[in-house]
Amino acid sequence: MTVIPLTHILILSSLLFIIGFVGVVVRRNTLFMLMSLEVMLNAVGIAFIGAGSVWQEADGQIMFMLILTLAAAEVAVGLALLIRMQRRYRTLDIDVLNQMKG
Amino acid sequence: MNPVDKVSEITLMNTEMFIVLSPILLLSFGIVLSLLLIAWQRSQKIIALFSQLILVFTLLLSMHLLSSGILSGAGVQITPLLKVDQFSYLSLSLICLSALAVISLSKQVLKSQVEVHDEYYLLILLVILGAAILVASDHFASMFLGFELLSISLVGLVGYFREQKYAVETGFKYLILSACASSFMLLGIAFIYSQTGNLSFAINSATAPWHSAPLQLFNSIGVLLLFSGIAFKLSLAPFHFWAPDVYQGAPTPITLLMATVSKIAMFTVLMKCCFAQGYYQNDHFIDVIIAVALLSMFIGNTLALKQQNIKRLMAYSSIAHFGYLLIVLVISAEQSIGFAWRSALFYLTAYLLANVAIFSIVITYEQYFSQNSTEREVCLNDWQAMFWQHRAQAVLLVFSILSLAGIPLTMGFVGKFYLFNQAVISQSWWLITGLVIGSGIGLAYYLPIIFTVFKVNSSAATHITKDNAIKAPKIFIIFLIIISFYFGVFPDSLSQYLL
Repeated sequence: MTVIPLTHILILSSLLFIIGFVGVVVRRNTLFMLMSLEVMLNAVGIAFIGAGSVWQEADGQIMFMLILTLAAAEVAVGLALLIRMQRRYRTLDIDVLNQMKG
Repeated sequence: MNPVDKVSEITLMNTEMFIVLSPILLLSFGIVLSLLLIAWQRSQKIIALFSQLILVFTLLLSMHLLSSGILSGAGVQITPLLKVDQFSYLSLSLICLSALAVISLSKQVLKSQVEVHDEYYLLILLVILGAAILVASDHFASMFLGFELLSISLVGLVGYFREQKYAVETGFKYLILSACASSFMLLGIAFIYSQTGNLSFAINSATAPWHSAPLQLFNSIGVLLLFSGIAFKLSLAPFHFWAPDVYQGAPTPITLLMATVSKIAMFTVLMKCCFAQGYYQNDHFIDVIIAVALLSMFIGNTLALKQQNIKRLMAYSSIAHFGYLLIVLVISAEQSIGFAWRSALFYLTAYLLANVAIFSIVITYEQYFSQNSTEREVCLNDWQAMFWQHRAQAVLLVFSILSLAGIPLTMGFVGKFYLFNQAVISQSWWLITGLVIGSGIGLAYYLPIIFTVFKVNSSAATHITKDNAIKAPKIFIIFLIIISFYFGVFPDSLSQYLL
């Protein structure tokens, strides 16, 4: 069995994280922004599981479970807001949410 | 020691731990009870009263534990996850105090609505529980749990009045940014964990990772990411963009909750983490802290200059204040940790009192506007001639503004003095320069508020005459005035308590 070096895992998760972050910044559709947030969180999950397997501990996996719970809660709140937005503005475009100035 | 022994040693919770943990246990039990209460009878009065009771008891319990001396010294470790010392319960008491203020102010705001708002109080209690876990945490996992409990309940509260103009916009901005912040923080934790193999705050600094070169890169990135995640929540300078918008759009009691509870808890956990992990020995980290602090002082103060909207102004001023507070993280030796904690807690108390006072006045004015069916935000001009119409309120406002500006004989001055002292001890001259110049610029927007309050009525000003004014609770106002005056003149009486 070949062992994957820790550095590779961390680089992979950083790349995924950056992809997710770019998605949040670039996407105009709020649904896709929420999905990109999921990508970011799951990238972190990969880093945790990789690190946990290197240290031979369960800590990393438990952190990943906590992250999954967080992601579920966050998406629940996010989707509720999304529905409000659709009702009110009839669009999911983030650009309509720019009324506050100053 | 064989593994079995180790496990049983870790999981054992003895009576002392239960006693020490009792405020947090009481808070969580209270939340369950209030859920049951909602199922039994839906009444806004009962649930508000009940949540206030829970908070009062939590406050009393933590005060009692503080004075009983159980916590003196290094603190009590409760499982690897939590560690409670006197500083964590001092900040918990501050948090409970401001939550009590938030609930009593919310009662006024919610009175004008038709629905039964029981989940509102429940969410506030959950925010407090998150903050309590944060201030007690000694492990990245518990810190993460507290962080998320706090932020997700806050998102719910920020967008609570869903019919209001900015509710969706504010809620969404806060949700996206706080989710980004928590994923940054999590990635930081993952990097730190991958290098140290330990999720606990308290690692032996002799084996600390920056002593071995090959681990340097990912660990430093991890620490930076962790810090930036927390800086997001503290709205420090490069991460401050959400603050003015969210402050403006959120319901005013919730703005107060964000400005005090969430920031006090975040700052406490930041200090705990930095001191336990020994980041203050790392020169690069200190450089980052100094840069962020200077930037926050500068940006917060200059952007507040032209602000007319009071809530936005408070947002910028809080950016500057947390820039000043970062000074306590820059310490030169382990001996000064105690002093750093004391100055930070004193400063936070001053900041808390001033914020509670100002926001309660803002709420009084908002109530007045909504009664006259002109839904709008409170601007600086609305406060014209306040002194000639509402003496008590105006005196309180002047006091709090002076305290925020750091004029002698107020708490804010004493707090700033401690920070100044701290910066001199650690010989960080840049921070001293920033503190002095920042406070100077600060005067340029704090003093006009006071001038406005004393200005004689012009035709444009809103006339809130005696008969149609909202009755602000007089006792509350006088109590706040006395407390802030007393601690400003006799700071020893509080700082003794902090020892």
